[in-house]
Amino acid sequence: MMNTLLKLNDVHTHIGQYHILQGVNFEAIEGQVSVLLGRNGAGKTTTLKTIMGLTPASKGEVEFRAQSIRKNPTYKVAKLGIGYVPENQGIFADLTVEENMKVAMRKEDTSALERQNYVLELFPDLKKFWKKAGGHLSGGQKQMLSMARAFINDSKLILIDEPSKGLAPIVVEKVMEAIVEMKKQTSIVLVEQNFIMASRIGDTYTLIDDGRTVHTGKMEDLVHNEELKRKYLGIG
Amino acid sequence: MKITLQQISFFLILASLVILPFVNDSRTLIILLTQIFIFGILAMSYDILLGYTGIVSFGHAMFFGIGAYTTAVMLKQMDATLTMFLLSIVTGMFFAGMISFLVGLLTLRLKSHFFAMLTLAFSGLFLVVAEKWRSVTYGNDGFTFRAPDIFKERITFYFFVLACLAVIFIALYRFVNSPTGRILIAVRENEQRTKSLGFNTLHYKVIASVVAGIVASLAGSLYSLSLRFVNTSVLTMDITLDALLMTIIGGVGTLVGPLLGAGVIEYAQHALSGLARDYPIFERWIIFFGILYILAVLFFPKGIIGSLRMLFWKWRSRRKGNKKSPAALPHKKERFE
Amino acid sequence: MELMVNLMINGLATGMLIFLLAAGLTLIFGLMDVLNFAHGGLFVWGAYAGIFTYMYTESFLIGILGAIGTGALLGLITEKLIITPVYGNHIQQILITLGLMLVLQEMIKVVFGPNGVPVKTPSYLAGSWEIGDVIIIKYRLFIIVVGFVIFGIFQYMLKRTKIGLIVRAGVQDKDMAQALGIHIKQVFLYVFMVGAALAALSGMLMAPYSGVIYAEMGMEYAILGFIVVVIGGMGSFSGSLLAAILVGLAGSFMAYYVPVLSLAVNMILMAIVLIFRPQGLFTMRKERST
Repeated sequence: MMNTLLKLNDVHTHIGQYHILQGVNFEAIEGQVSVLLGRNGAGKTTTLKTIMGLTPASKGEVEFRAQSIRKNPTYKVAKLGIGYVPENQGIFADLTVEENMKVAMRKEDTSALERQNYVLELFPDLKKFWKKAGGHLSGGQKQMLSMARAFINDSKLILIDEPSKGLAPIVVEKVMEAIVEMKKQTSIVLVEQNFIMASRIGDTYTLIDDGRTVHTGKMEDLVHNEELKRKYLGIG
Repeated sequence: MKITLQQISFFLILASLVILPFVNDSRTLIILLTQIFIFGILAMSYDILLGYTGIVSFGHAMFFGIGAYTTAVMLKQMDATLTMFLLSIVTGMFFAGMISFLVGLLTLRLKSHFFAMLTLAFSGLFLVVAEKWRSVTYGNDGFTFRAPDIFKERITFYFFVLACLAVIFIALYRFVNSPTGRILIAVRENEQRTKSLGFNTLHYKVIASVVAGIVASLAGSLYSLSLRFVNTSVLTMDITLDALLMTIIGGVGTLVGPLLGAGVIEYAQHALSGLARDYPIFERWIIFFGILYILAVLFFPKGIIGSLRMLFWKWRSRRKGNKKSPAALPHKKERFE
Repeated sequence: MELMVNLMINGLATGMLIFLLAAGLTLIFGLMDVLNFAHGGLFVWGAYAGIFTYMYTESFLIGILGAIGTGALLGLITEKLIITPVYGNHIQQILITLGLMLVLQEMIKVVFGPNGVPVKTPSYLAGSWEIGDVIIIKYRLFIIVVGFVIFGIFQYMLKRTKIGLIVRAGVQDKDMAQALGIHIKQVFLYVFMVGAALAALSGMLMAPYSGVIYAEMGMEYAILGFIVVVIGGMGSFSGSLLAAILVGLAGSFMAYYVPVLSLAVNMILMAIVLIFRPQGLFTMRKERST
């Protein structure tokens, strides 16, 4: 029996006067990589922000481990164990790599330090630039730092928004490997435009179009469904 | 031509204000009303900025002061005739227009905080100049001057100010309902979007600031003539605060609201300073206004007129059963920045 | 030479007081995106509460503590009642904090009387030292020392402690800080209280320096504070120290050499900075004109 970690049920979100999400249904299963797919502007990023409480849902239900988190402020969502890696990585530019890690670490106990060692092995670059300001890192390094930061607090679930965006193919490869590696310890929700990457590491997919969930299923089924891919992703 | 309800009420109110001095020629009342009209003009000019364009200026006293000093200096140094007075009004407006144009061009690009702060500093600068340039302004002590003979009679001045008020009201009303005025409202509602529609928003904000500056200068000219005296107090923060208070309490973005606000505030000041003779706490009447103002910003941001308008719309839509909401209500939250 | 040293000490002392005032402004702005036009009110309340405590207890130190306590308390009330409800709406923030400034200033007159209150320097800080030709007024030196000590403490806190890290992170990206589990509104409140306490301390220390306290001093010094924050760069702590010293020195030298310009020079400086380098002289951070 697979455990549902996160569940979105008919979620609607307004930003200002715009009705961005108009009925998103989504589930993330424990120990898996759940991928959100869809065209630009379909509402994938907003879905992640809604989960985090950054753009709270105006209607519908968001449940994390069978507990409603829809009305929780962002910091409480984070404390429940959801890590967030935003599209722009959200690195504090004036803080060093070390400080970026430290500010994320809610408890500086042995397990946190163990996890820190673990991610530093995963991303040796971070160790190398430990004292360098976040703003001076390359795009790939920022991505790694952001992922490491989300991982450090024993997160049960990490939301990653378009990790491959703007990165060189070889760096994308590294990031993907890291996600696969992290999957051993946590669950992941991934927003990804790069379908080849997404299909390689994703377990399940949810297709969003115009702010609505239009399709959901196992990743291997989508890979062979040319019609869906053409209709919603413009590929195939 | 169709005559609207607004036009009828405008003429009715105007007519009763014209008749009033013949019914009750109490000197205090005439002076109080003159004062209300002058500050009404100032408050309306402020409304162009705050209510219609969504700009907070803390330097509006600067333009009021320019008008006040131009009139005072010209009447004192040259000749106390009506022509000179009218000329001084025009000169004051010209200076105010020039300065608001230059200041606006330089500062209106900045975000609201910085603009507010910079206008505060600029008007502070004017205050300093007025205090130091003693040969002309007599500094903080100020100076008295003679009014043109025709205004020796309070009543004539009352009518003159009333006429100015009516003209300015109509002019500003037309201005805010003109295409330019519509764009100003768009800037207030969402500057970013107005910009992306292809409007040069800086250009429109400068227009608003020049119009507001010119009208404020007129109010200043009338003010110093009403006192036949001027000193640096016309350039202080208090003047700007008065305008702010009147606009907010009356109702931003309504033009009529600030007029009403001017009436309320001026009358309350008058009444409270009367009370202060018996109860010293009322000497600090400004506290009551301050608290009132804070409460207004928090709970009553549409002011008297704005709130009444809301009620009216609700009532009408309930009666008609349609759900159309009032268009473009002021003080929408800034969301996109 | 003697003159130069004296003008310098004067300028530095004034600069330090303005720095204490501006430090709170800049932190609050950087973190909360709120320009607190009531900051001068907190300054003048610090001065009055501190000086009256000092006169009552006859201890300058307790007076200082009284000022700091008053500032923090007023900060708490202000943040909860005035700032939180209008969070995110710039126009309302500007309007409401200015209103609060007005109320705070007038309340001074109600509580402590409308007239200025003369203030004496505590005996152990009064007088001066003579070193050769140079006369150093003790109290001015005291202010300079206090200013640097406080700068040092804050710099240490910001750079070396977790709280400082959180504040710096919040200044840069509030949303991300929250997404990492930081309760940013709580941080706002504390920073606001600390900023208010600094303003109050500044007012208290200013009192013996100027020799008299009066209700309007709040607005006068707040304007200097704004100028410093603009020149130093909004949200930059060390930038505001440099800018405060610059403004202090400029004021002190101008007052001696070109007295007519002394009041205007800072405003002109600020106008120039805002127009040509709106991110501040001492920062290289993000754009802030629209």
